[in-house]
Amino acid sequence: MMMRHLKTMLPACVALAGALGFGALAWAAPNAQEILAASDAVRNPNYPFGLTTTLVEYRNGKQTSGSTLAIYSKEQANGGQFRSLIRFVAPARDANKLMLKSGNELWFYDPSSKASIRISPQQRLLGQAANGDIVTVNLAKDYQATLAAEEDIQDGDRQTRRCYKLALAATTPDVTYHNIEMWIDASNNRPVKSRFYTESGRLLKTAYYRRYQNNLGVERPTETVIIDGLDPNWVTVMRFSDYVKREVPETWLQRDYLPRFKPE
Amino acid sequence: MNRLISSLLLATALTAGAALAADSDMDALLLADHASAPPAKASDWRVFVEGAAGRTALRGPGTNSGSILNQRLSIDVQFDKSFAPGWRAVFADRLDINWHNEPSRQNSVNSFKEGYLSWAAAGDQLFDLGRINARHGVAIGYNPTDYFRTGASRSIVSADPSSQKKNRLGSGMLRSQTLWDGGSLTAIYSPKLADQPNRASWNPDWGSTNNQHRWLVAVSHQIAEGINPQWLIYGEEHDATQLGFNLTKLLNDSTVSYVEWSGGRTRSLLTRALNEQGINRPDDSAFRNRVATGLTYTTANKMSLTLEYQYNGAALDKANWDALGRSSPLGYGLYRGAVHNAGDMPTRQAWFLFGTWQDAVVNNLDLSAMVRFNVADRSRLSWLEARYHWDQAEVALQWQRNSGHATSEFGASPQRRIVQAVVRYFF
Repeated sequence: MMMRHLKTMLPACVALAGALGFGALAWAAPNAQEILAASDAVRNPNYPFGLTTTLVEYRNGKQTSGSTLAIYSKEQANGGQFRSLIRFVAPARDANKLMLKSGNELWFYDPSSKASIRISPQQRLLGQAANGDIVTVNLAKDYQATLAAEEDIQDGDRQTRRCYKLALAATTPDVTYHNIEMWIDASNNRPVKSRFYTESGRLLKTAYYRRYQNNLGVERPTETVIIDGLDPNWVTVMRFSDYVKREVPETWLQRDYLPRFKPE
Repeated sequence: MNRLISSLLLATALTAGAALAADSDMDALLLADHASAPPAKASDWRVFVEGAAGRTALRGPGTNSGSILNQRLSIDVQFDKSFAPGWRAVFADRLDINWHNEPSRQNSVNSFKEGYLSWAAAGDQLFDLGRINARHGVAIGYNPTDYFRTGASRSIVSADPSSQKKNRLGSGMLRSQTLWDGGSLTAIYSPKLADQPNRASWNPDWGSTNNQHRWLVAVSHQIAEGINPQWLIYGEEHDATQLGFNLTKLLNDSTVSYVEWSGGRTRSLLTRALNEQGINRPDDSAFRNRVATGLTYTTANKMSLTLEYQYNGAALDKANWDALGRSSPLGYGLYRGAVHNAGDMPTRQAWFLFGTWQDAVVNNLDLSAMVRFNVADRSRLSWLEARYHWDQAEVALQWQRNSGHATSEFGASPQRRIVQAVVRYFF
């Protein structure tokens, strides 16, 4: 009797549980674009700032190069993308060279020749700054995010994190990475891991954001580990330090200012 | 059944791939755990020492025999310091000590490249006084709007255009610049400080760069996203005012295009060259254009290629160039000397091709190649370089060949082929 009753009730219970579950999911479904924007805010202050980025490159487990960049960054007035002035501090052969990045307008300046040369986004990828400036980018401005999954992954510090997995598709044709997979900590919107892809779907690099510390009032990643997509033995470690809130005047962010730039 | 086996194999492969990726990620993170990377401190100095040794094959009369050995030691110093709020001091100097074994001789050339004080009266208003390397232009191989290039090359150590841009004298000048959001206005006055060049080893050689009064006004303003043209007006004591224009544009993710133009009423280069030597020649002033336009394309595997078309309306056309070489050795020599001093082109049209390949074959190895092709006499300069670098040192092997008939732009060079090895160390 009891069993028969149960058999009769079971489909209804399943239907009810399904409906409740679906309803709960629909009610709680986080907005992927908002998660992405919140994760951008974890990486970058929403006011002009400066920081020092140190890059160490490894090939097959051996350190092959190191460099230090001083980055001065500011969001566009209309809340758009970051514009950055990047100064090469080390190695000695590149010291005091500058790169200006304002959207897709990129200029490279060499104080030895006093020449400002316009470069393409593809050309930018030739140097260390290709990695150096991925820190100051507002992904939510150039990508449409969708929630692909919610899953547990190992973060850069080998801790298991419950993460939203977002699929980012470029909304402008001239971005460097056409698709990105991004895992963001579901409890605090901290970026945990990203995978960057070309238009053809080739994996360009994997990035782990780790060693969170308080910088300018927010827990921010102080290290990003980048693994090349083609050659996993090519690893770049980026460390961020000396975060400082500072004025970055509009007049700095143009070609004609490059020969003038001399931070005190 | 077969489909089932295929599916199982695919699933196994994917799982194995994911596991491998996870393993390599963990290896990378372990490596990063032990990374030691204290940030470097910015320095006001940049100093390097460069040694070079090579052999130059000479072009003898009627034969291609003979060669000389060359050695060079160079010391290059740059100093740039803010010494008080709003004040900045800049100094750049280079010493080249050259040895030529056959015939045996040594000479030293010191190039006082820059030395000036800069004062920011306000954040957007700046003044500079001293010897300044004021460079204008967006092209790579030929810069019609680089008006202060005349007489600036004191010691040429490589055909690489980047080396020639770095190793040149600034001009004595007073410069002011006003900046605003998206643009700037620059005004320069460069006075006459000496009459004649002075090639003595340690002479600052004001006579090469400041042998007449000159002035320049340049204005640039961003008129649309990514479009920032620059207009220039330039005047000098011995010629009419010239106008200039620079523009770059991003064509796509990997291609930058550029155009650089200068135009104005001016004598032909030949008349100017002869007049400077006191030789009378009728004034042939007319509106003449100079243009350089090109593209730089970068591939996904780190190769960059620049193709540039160059035009000089003040230079000789093919018929007059051929005739000058055949009929007037004196005129030809004076013309070549004046064109070289002005950093200009001797004939109307040329093509310039420049390619670089970073991390070619092995990491840290950069390969570069350049061809300059004279359309009028079909002579050409070919140059190759392989450069390997560490953080503080570089080693390079360079090869250069000048080819063409005896009175052509490149064939007339006494140096037929140059091979040299270069070692550079940064302190």
